[in-house]
Amino acid sequence: MPAALTIPRECTFDPDDWRIIARYWYPIALATEVGEAPLGVKLLDQPLVVYRVDGETVIADDICPHRGVPLSLGTGDGRGIGCAYHGFRFGSQGRCVDVPAHPQAKIPSRLNLRTYPAVERYGLIWTCLAADAETEPEIPSHPHWDEAEFQRINCPWIDIAAFAGRQVEGFLDVAHFSFVHLKSFGNPDNTVVPDYAAVPTDDGFEVEYWSSVSNYPIGVVDRGEPGFQWLRHFRLHVPFTATLVVHFPDGARLSIMNAASPVSARMTRMFAPICRNFDTDQPVQAVYDFNRIVFEEDRAIVEVQKPENLPLDPKLEVHVPADRSSIAYRKALRGLGLGSFFTA
Amino acid sequence: MDIQGTTMPAVVHALTRAATDTLLIELRHPDAAGRLPAAQPGDHIDVRLGKFVRQYSLCGPATDGRYLICVKRERGGRGGSSALHEELRVADTVQVSAPRSKFPLVRGERTLLLGAGIGITPLLAMAEALWDDGAAFDLWFYAPDRGRAPLIEYIATRPYAERVHLRLSSVGQSARTALPDSLDRADPDTQIYVCGPTGFMEHVRSHVRAAGWADEQLHQETFSLNAEAAAGLVTGDEFTVRVASSGEAYQVPSGTSIADVLRFNGVDVELSCEQGICGACLIPVLAGTPDHRDEVLSEAERAANDQMTICCSRARTAELTLDL
Repeated sequence: MPAALTIPRECTFDPDDWRIIARYWYPIALATEVGEAPLGVKLLDQPLVVYRVDGETVIADDICPHRGVPLSLGTGDGRGIGCAYHGFRFGSQGRCVDVPAHPQAKIPSRLNLRTYPAVERYGLIWTCLAADAETEPEIPSHPHWDEAEFQRINCPWIDIAAFAGRQVEGFLDVAHFSFVHLKSFGNPDNTVVPDYAAVPTDDGFEVEYWSSVSNYPIGVVDRGEPGFQWLRHFRLHVPFTATLVVHFPDGARLSIMNAASPVSARMTRMFAPICRNFDTDQPVQAVYDFNRIVFEEDRAIVEVQKPENLPLDPKLEVHVPADRSSIAYRKALRGLGLGSFFTA
Repeated sequence: MDIQGTTMPAVVHALTRAATDTLLIELRHPDAAGRLPAAQPGDHIDVRLGKFVRQYSLCGPATDGRYLICVKRERGGRGGSSALHEELRVADTVQVSAPRSKFPLVRGERTLLLGAGIGITPLLAMAEALWDDGAAFDLWFYAPDRGRAPLIEYIATRPYAERVHLRLSSVGQSARTALPDSLDRADPDTQIYVCGPTGFMEHVRSHVRAAGWADEQLHQETFSLNAEAAAGLVTGDEFTVRVASSGEAYQVPSGTSIADVLRFNGVDVELSCEQGICGACLIPVLAGTPDHRDEVLSEAERAANDQMTICCSRARTAELTLDL
């Protein structure tokens, strides 16, 4: 548990904004990626090392307290990891358990790693840089994930060279389907956005968006009823996690979590645990592939948006009624006390 | 958006299922002997239920002291129609505005009324008035099928029922295939009234223009949230807006926003959505009481009356002083 919140070296965020967003929980890796060997990741500009020891998941600063070499360059054997420079070993709870140069000497307590809490949920490893020892992990809920008839699918993560806020806003946007998703599910002739409302919740807002935009992949014979009205139920959890439940015909449901992990102000690792109660006997590779096409289509846009940060002041960009989600999102982030995030 | 102008209480006297997902609501004066203010055929009223304020056309006789409105549940809507369907009970009191005219009936020698779906409502009030006048008219009513033809049982009880021609697409008679023959020949003594979905009205308009009718003979009302909102957003009584820094005062007429008046007079203001949804133009209010018509401010922020969106909100007092 960190004693005091330290702003990372070369932090790309405004420090005040960093202190606010560091209070939230983010996924940093797929559970399947983390094993005995040290894995290096980054969250909010903070380099982290993740490893498993005796079934316990350890998340710590990715730096050897001895001479500052990243521990992710080292090796692991299930009982701990070893630094690549002098072989110092670290085990459960990030404690230093061996200094090979002096096997019999007392190990200074300052050699213990600074660690962060690790929670495995939705097939992902979640952490929080500013977690309080007393507070329960606040990990956003994923609709239907725990229901027996739903198939759980963990898509590979996608790295996006853009700010998490821009990526999340793109996920919530309902006016871009006909322009951006022409290779996946969009219909170029169905551009009009019916009115909808963003309703505040405890940690964000939700939107029930009804439209005639189908969610079937292009090329798939339309299995829906003609004139079917599609409900897309979005839920946003501040700051960077959103879920979307797509209501297909005949009670079929597709539930997507868009968990945007802010690597830095300009880099986002997007995790997408998905569950569904149809086609559960079909190979998941098709879901991976379709999801990849959709998010790549979004990535091409999000990476070129200017300014690179998300302008929270409503005066800075122009809003139309289709942007009610975006307006609500920026308002919710303003409500956390966030400012400009960083200067583009 | 708040109700524009003064409001009055009205009691829900009866609720009737008028078609699939469609409710006929009869509103009466709270006093048994009281009468709600008379309306003109084609008028609509604002109805408030909780946080929702919506406009509905009156569909009954305009002068019998009762208001009949017909509300279709809009699944893609903003929640107002769903709230009415789910929450409204007989004997509830709701706040309503006085009737307002946006779709006035101009008497002609002959009148053709064409309605589709829920768009039938203002035309029924017109049919009522035309029948009372003994005028020559016909009402063509287009719907998908009988189950989704609002108010057909109500229409059957009205004296003008024989003038109503129901056309159902379920039996192949849609607006595309079965417009009345009388529309094919332009007649200078006939007025045409159209109300329904945008596609329906566009079809009728192009048909009528092609047949040589003059634009002034065609009267239409759109049932669209955006059109309703845009048309109603900045209307209201004239008031004065004062700029605190300069002391200058400007008149804000009905139909013009505070922001437009200020910009016309060279006062620099920042706008974004220009329809009360984003909050870019929130300005502190130093004196006077705003009439909030945006969807940005919370109930508490509205009640504080210390800031307002100048793209759409107006004034409850004769003058407003803005911290500009």
